[in-house]
Amino acid sequence: MRLRHFTYSLLTCLILLAVAHTANAQALDISSGGLPTITGAVNGSVSGNANVQSDLIVTVTFGEVSPLNTNSIVKVIVPIALRSNQPYQVSVSISGLNNANAEALQASDIGFGLQNVRLLGGAGQICSQSTHVIRSPFNNDPSTTATVAANGRVSYTSSLASLSGPTVILSGPELSKNNSAKRQSTDGYMFDAVFALTPQFFAAGVSSATLIFSISPGPNAPC
Amino acid sequence: MPRQTSTQITKFILLTTLLVVSAVSCLGQSTTGTVTMSATVSKFVEINSGGAVTLSGNSGGGVTTDGVTNSPLAVSINLGELGPSNTNSFVTAQVPLKLRSNAPYVLSMTASVSSSGTSASRIGAADVGFGLGTISRLGIGVNTTGTDTNATSGDPTLAANGSVNGTTGRYEFTAVRSNLSAFSSATTALSGPIIMNAVPRSNANGLTVPAFFAVKPQFFENGTTTISVTFIVTAP
Repeated sequence: MRLRHFTYSLLTCLILLAVAHTANAQALDISSGGLPTITGAVNGSVSGNANVQSDLIVTVTFGEVSPLNTNSIVKVIVPIALRSNQPYQVSVSISGLNNANAEALQASDIGFGLQNVRLLGGAGQICSQSTHVIRSPFNNDPSTTATVAANGRVSYTSSLASLSGPTVILSGPELSKNNSAKRQSTDGYMFDAVFALTPQFFAAGVSSATLIFSISPGPNAPC
Repeated sequence: MPRQTSTQITKFILLTTLLVVSAVSCLGQSTTGTVTMSATVSKFVEINSGGAVTLSGNSGGGVTTDGVTNSPLAVSINLGELGPSNTNSFVTAQVPLKLRSNAPYVLSMTASVSSSGTSASRIGAADVGFGLGTISRLGIGVNTTGTDTNATSGDPTLAANGSVNGTTGRYEFTAVRSNLSAFSSATTALSGPIIMNAVPRSNANGLTVPAFFAVKPQFFENGTTTISVTFIVTAP
């Protein structure tokens, strides 16, 4: 008899947990927006998941970025999907890429911008009172805004050096029409995170960095 | 309902609930995503022409294939007459070189000299003077820190670098690495620190240095001579 009571109590708890999870799940979500692409690379690659219902886990290998790569620029486009039933903001933080040698690859050498905020599909919420705003200075394609600075080094309108701690790059009103407990293929928005790296006479070595994209409740943005 | 059946139903419901919870978790959302990235910079060195060849003191001959700035180095020179009919003190060819690297570099050289002559008076490797001139690191994007080491003795026509042998009467390039006999196998001519800062390859600047070749016209055995020189730059 005691065992039965315990079993029912446990069962009730699990059901409540499941309901709670369901209730909170739709609030804010970030996922893959499709297959990422790379151009201009030598021995480079990018891996991700084409399914927009999969988690955002992308690995970018820029490959060779010394003058051995004779392409003008290595460009990577990472589509990212967003879902929310409330105003949101997307922030990015970076770790790694701390080369002491100023002539080695630095965060400022990797251009970073956002482009093409667009509906994921028919279940995305179209709001008339607020717009989705790419925060300054990230509203650009770094592969087209790259310029040569006075010291001869390539610079970008925005780069990974523009990230200072968790940095908000995008915000706006609610993104999804429905309140589904699970990701759907059309219930939000997506944008392209664009990375650009110009091969240069960098000091030799291997560099790496990790970016964490986060979605959280954003400033008031009526729909 | 029998007690055993009731227990089985309870277990079934419990298992189903667990599966539902797991499914919701799997299909649920996440508030974070990760992009990891890496890039490789390999050591890079290159040698190109630093510009047009200057030939002086020649009698006949000329520059057959000239150097073109920033193009691969492939120069061909006819030094002309090297016998006593050429009354100039030296026939000199100055070949500008341009080096670029993102790492410390070593410029080495290999030379061979072959002559149709058969006697000791034919032109040999020791009769061809060689040296590297003033090293220049100029322009935006060129690293100016550190020191380049010239392993040659510079312009071989300088009085300090050669003289007439008092015994044989033959003119000799006597300074350290001042003639091609010192380069019968790959031998370092120049070395130094990183040449370029982090700038794109389209930046045309670099380290420039003239390579001097000189022959003193003398009573060499008549015939034709071919001199072949290969420069190799590496980043050890």
